[in-house]
Amino acid sequence: MSAAASSSQGGAEGGTHPPGEEEQGESSAYYECNICLDTAKDPVVSMCGHLFCWPCLHQWLETRPNRQMCPVCKAGIGKDKVVPIYGRGCTKPQDPREKMPPRPHGQRPEPENAGGIFPGFGFGDGGFHMSFGIGAFPFGMFASTFNFNDGRPGPPPPASPQHAEEQFLSKFFIWVAVLFIFWLLIA
Amino acid sequence: MTSMEKRLQKELQALTKDPPAGVIVNTESVSQNMSEWIVDLYGAPGSLYDGEKFQLSFKFSPRYPFDSPQVMFIGPNIPVHPHVYSNGHICLSILTDDWSPALSVTSVCLSIVSMLSSCQEKKRPPDNAIYVKTCSKNPKKTRWFYHDDTV
Ligand SMILES: [Zn+2]
Ligand SMILES: [Zn+2]
Repeated sequence: MSAAASSSQGGAEGGTHPPGEEEQGESSAYYECNICLDTAKDPVVSMCGHLFCWPCLHQWLETRPNRQMCPVCKAGIGKDKVVPIYGRGCTKPQDPREKMPPRPHGQRPEPENAGGIFPGFGFGDGGFHMSFGIGAFPFGMFASTFNFNDGRPGPPPPASPQHAEEQFLSKFFIWVAVLFIFWLLIA
Repeated sequence: MTSMEKRLQKELQALTKDPPAGVIVNTESVSQNMSEWIVDLYGAPGSLYDGEKFQLSFKFSPRYPFDSPQVMFIGPNIPVHPHVYSNGHICLSILTDDWSPALSVTSVCLSIVSMLSSCQEKKRPPDNAIYVKTCSKNPKKTRWFYHDDTV
């Protein structure tokens, strides 16, 4: 498995162009970033000799902060293990690593569910609301009985379907609670 | 054009111009939606899959290439292989844990071709039945355990 995975890594990538490719592409491929495949911008080179745009490499290092490996050859890599490259046209050489790294994109990772173990769980919203209702039950009773006002987020605006559902649930649980206390008294 | 689209455009160009043996990208599928590709894969000559045609589906998130693509076999012919489930999911570490942004559609295809080529006996994974029944639709949501057995 892993053998198959690593065998072709880096093979088809990294500027191996067949004969017949126009010379332009042939020569510029040497200076392509191994991540965006474009001519490296704010270039840095790793100890293992692999070229990247600093913004591209930075984003990759941020993606896996505790497994920092060269994307091409898996050698160790890090901010202090790359060398910036300054060409002649570079009038005001400034270490790209010192520049404000490009702000990372806002991330909205998909909710990770347990994936394959309990596919039935987390399906639809019903389960979530239900467990919330049950979980909040003691607080709800407390708050409604003693009129407590702690810092909990306020209820959803009235007239939303969730509000109605919560109203129903809280009423339902208050009745359950009343019945339970009644049962305790007579038992 | 976002950085993801820009990179995919470059990959597409390279793959259509200079496709490796047995790998043909369905450009029609790509032209409709850049973030979903269909690639035709042909079993390597001399392997157990010689002459067979398979289809791979690639789905790219906006964070590609920092985020690995979602890759699975689709269509009528799912290869019978110890690391390929009958629903098309593939147990291959570069598709999750060992993904690197220096990998590409081409290198993923080549890895899969070589995974198929090194197969000694056509059979499904031992846990196929239970996995197919319980897994998520997205193979990336599976917590794969990469057993390092020789195929
Ligand atoms: Zn780059
Ligand atoms: Zn390297």
